[in-house]
Amino acid sequence: MNVTKAKASFLGKSANILIWLFLIMACVFVVTPLLFMFSASFMPAIDIMKLPYPWVSDHVHWQNYWNGLRGPDGSFIFLRNTLNSLIVALAVTATTVVLSSLCGYGLAKFRFKGRNAVFMLIMATMMIPFETIMIPLYMVSMKMGLQDSYAGLIVPFLTNAFGVFLMRQFLLTFPDEVLDAARIDGASEPRIFSHIVLPNSGPAIATLAILTFRSQWDNLLWPLLVVQSDEMKTIPLYITKFMAETHSDEGIMMAVAAMASLPMFILFFTMSKYFISTEGLHSTIKG
Amino acid sequence: MQHNKRFSMEQKKARWGWIFVAPSLLFFLVFSFYPIFNAIYMSFFKKNLLSLKPPEFVGWGNYVYLSHSKTFWQSVSNTAIFTIGTFIPLVAFSLMLAAFIVSRRRFQKFFQMALYSPAALSSVVAALIWLLIFDPRGLANQTLNTLMQTSGVNYHWLSSSSMLRLSTIVVYFWKYVGYFTVVFVAGIGGIPDYLHEAALIDGADSWKDFWHITFPLLKPTTLLVSVMVMIQCLKTFSTQYLFSTSGAPTRPIDVITLNIYNTAIKDHNIGRASAMSVLLFLVMLILTWLQLRIAKTEDVTYN
Repeated sequence: MNVTKAKASFLGKSANILIWLFLIMACVFVVTPLLFMFSASFMPAIDIMKLPYPWVSDHVHWQNYWNGLRGPDGSFIFLRNTLNSLIVALAVTATTVVLSSLCGYGLAKFRFKGRNAVFMLIMATMMIPFETIMIPLYMVSMKMGLQDSYAGLIVPFLTNAFGVFLMRQFLLTFPDEVLDAARIDGASEPRIFSHIVLPNSGPAIATLAILTFRSQWDNLLWPLLVVQSDEMKTIPLYITKFMAETHSDEGIMMAVAAMASLPMFILFFTMSKYFISTEGLHSTIKG
Repeated sequence: MQHNKRFSMEQKKARWGWIFVAPSLLFFLVFSFYPIFNAIYMSFFKKNLLSLKPPEFVGWGNYVYLSHSKTFWQSVSNTAIFTIGTFIPLVAFSLMLAAFIVSRRRFQKFFQMALYSPAALSSVVAALIWLLIFDPRGLANQTLNTLMQTSGVNYHWLSSSSMLRLSTIVVYFWKYVGYFTVVFVAGIGGIPDYLHEAALIDGADSWKDFWHITFPLLKPTTLLVSVMVMIQCLKTFSTQYLFSTSGAPTRPIDVITLNIYNTAIKDHNIGRASAMSVLLFLVMLILTWLQLRIAKTEDVTYN
């Protein structure tokens, strides 16, 4: 970015300082609540409500994490709920990646009657937000007996239009010669898909997988509808219930919040390339 | 012979195309198209969630009821206030932050990462953290008291209705400002260097360069992001739900999705909830159509 350098030198000194200040203040505003979560998670509740907020307690209160894991009734249901969240998010991610790339591949590389109609139809589902169909979906899943089950949590999200779109756009640029060469060598179509197309779609699949996993990890509305028992709750539901029950101990609340965020933070710091990537975001904007 | 063989190969390929597309297509028919038509259908019926009685046809009854319903209009205005109050500062600040970040020689990645980090949290956790910050003894009051040189003033973040609305906006703004900053940084990065160079050679300073080169070329991205944010804001649910279940008054933050949820699950009134869903769907339809149109025109802007 040689232009940036030239641009910066044109700025007046005071404007330059103001911009630094603004950026730093924005970061402070954004990061403070996160620091607050971690800091409070190591404090006894009395310290958290001290005025002014002490930020660091005299002694590290690890018990919050233990008590958070144990739960108010000592049943360790938080672990079970974390497992549920993982199972649902991973299952949805897997099916979304497979079904979206299958469909995107079919739309990008095969010419068949009605292809454009199919593509338009799938794109049209982007105009149907989940919030507007949750009630009919709920009634259907009740009729099918899917309440309170993994199937009920997973099935409405098996794939999504954005995933199909992303994979189609990516695979449009996939070299035809490679596919044709494999066909001449006698490879079957499913084999070409699984051995040539999938392994060479890494970046697109990573972007799609992360977006899907995150949206499932975050999902509150649908689990709120289909889940009844404590055993089948996912983390967002657990936290919702936990908030209502032990509203008094803020330290434990923050410890639970920190533990619930851990997988996403690990994903964020190891795969930030796919969170903050021009390519992925560009297709996100266009989706 | 040659021709025939090729023909059959094409046919075979076409069949495989259908086979690859079929599972997803089937899914969308069952889990997107059927439910939306079902919602439209149910919006003309009176149906109790728990009763086994068949739905009773009421024509436009549910819509007529909604047009008189105070709570419905309340939630429409709550949603509108939240959407407008969120998307204007969100777009303005993320555009500004992106322009500032790009103008820095160093720490570009650092600022992007730091600002983006709340987007990695789940919205439930975000609401939980801010619930403590907005506590009468929490950081929000402390910070404001320090800034305003007052002491011990309680700003009623979670109890007065206008402050409560502001609180939900703050949470949303906090969570997504970094995300859209990154989107804008990507947008600015997509502007070819030679345009800036030409402007600089012509004697423009960076201020002029921003207003005459970056900003006009970023207009489609800005429009697109605005519509994206609007669509997202119309669907907001988690923060409002969590704030209201943990003791804040529901009325000022009873947004449309929360109203649909409560009407269906608490009042068991499927017909009315469906009618609200259909109305929300129509608004979203218009916005998404707008978004797709802008996305189409965006491709040609740099030429």
